[in-house]
Amino acid sequence: MSAAALRHFRPLVLVLAWLALQPGAAPAADPPSLTVFAAADLTFAFRELAPRFEKATGARVTLVFGSTGNFAHQIRQGGPADVFFAADQSFIDTLIAEGALLKETRTLYAQGRIVLATARAFGPRLTELRGLLDPRVRHVAIANPVHAPYGRAAEQALRNTGVWDALRPKLVFGENIRHTLQIIQSGAAEAGIVALSVADVPEIDSVLIDAAAHAPLDQVAAVVRRSLRPELGAAFIQFVSGPEGRPIMKRFGFRLPGEL
Amino acid sequence: MELFPIWLSLRVAVSATALTLLAGVPIAWLLARRRFPGRNVLEAVVVLPLVLPPTVLGYYLLVLIGRRGPLGQALGAVGLELAFTWGAAVLAAVVGSIALVIKSAQAGFETVDTQLEQAARTLGRSEWSVFWSVTLPLAWRSVLAGAVLAFCRALGEFGITLMVAGNIPGRTQTLPLAIYDRVQANQMADANALALVAVGIVVVLLFGLSRLARLRY
Repeated sequence: MSAAALRHFRPLVLVLAWLALQPGAAPAADPPSLTVFAAADLTFAFRELAPRFEKATGARVTLVFGSTGNFAHQIRQGGPADVFFAADQSFIDTLIAEGALLKETRTLYAQGRIVLATARAFGPRLTELRGLLDPRVRHVAIANPVHAPYGRAAEQALRNTGVWDALRPKLVFGENIRHTLQIIQSGAAEAGIVALSVADVPEIDSVLIDAAAHAPLDQVAAVVRRSLRPELGAAFIQFVSGPEGRPIMKRFGFRLPGEL
Repeated sequence: MELFPIWLSLRVAVSATALTLLAGVPIAWLLARRRFPGRNVLEAVVVLPLVLPPTVLGYYLLVLIGRRGPLGQALGAVGLELAFTWGAAVLAAVVGSIALVIKSAQAGFETVDTQLEQAARTLGRSEWSVFWSVTLPLAWRSVLAGAVLAFCRALGEFGITLMVAGNIPGRTQTLPLAIYDRVQANQMADANALALVAVGIVVVLLFGLSRLARLRY
């Protein structure tokens, strides 16, 4: 490399070195901090709940939202969660059996409900699942029934109504319930089935689907065994399913244990 | 707007690009200039990350470097934890982007006339010196192009990062993960602002590089 070229590079190299040498994130601040892995359908409810818990306890809460299945893999591999709120009990029970979660903290904190959602842009508002058969409804979005709990419930409801087979050619699958919602929100699908907890958006109209049409969507939480502050995680579970959390969970479309 | 994801992503992309160059250029040179057993296998392995879906690749990596993984346990024995740190995000970006450096640099090295290298050897230059004073300068633009692609890929890396680094706000939430999170939470204004930043970074980078590429090596 010629000296002239080297001179041109020097500032660039310095910038690179500077950027590369920056320390990672600052270590956790003084107040005890709690990392919560939570299923995507809890996004809105937990954004409102967490600040209240912080106020009540002085702890800092880091919320991480994502797919229950991914979180299960990560917790198995030492993911830095203190407490795990799954959208489905099976993952929790598997992790308890493997010893990654604390059995005594297992708590049923909510039951999910599903709704029939119609894109407002579509025009006619569907009020029952049979309405999906309407030829003007060209695509029906549900979460992927192979791995998404709400997708499984949607499939059961459609089967119980006897329209599953007729609807199959129209079905499009979202990766999770938020993705499914986006497919309808954008108008790419005229209608679909999503969780009540995410359905409160201006672009769609929704009608509750009878809870008897599908197996209960039991949402279970538990504290991670490796957590350094298991009592704080347990306190957060209590908070969510206690007198402070219940009204909020209810407002965001979850049924609550004890009133099932 | 939260600035942390922007700095983290810059740091991750810069570190990853430096590492991909460090590891990728020698591999590219090997593939272009040497015949050795297993060369075809190496060539296939190099492009594997482009073939596998990122989240699947991320899952395999997590199983490797996680607490129960063989590499994770080896690192743990010396008190290091890579999974779910910003280092894991760098690893994700390296895995996702190294093929771009290797294939681009390899093509560049292959177009360098070997007679020029031979001439340098007859003048008594060592192999090391031939590489730095003949091969690399002549293949310079290809290497640079690979580095640009790798940087952009590293900056936009999503699927592998999501699995191995997690999506932890303030710790491992990179720019693409932050944008995704905002979209998921219906905070479109924030998402758009962050997306604009990502575009801005790349525009500035390409502008700077177009000036750099005009330089003679």
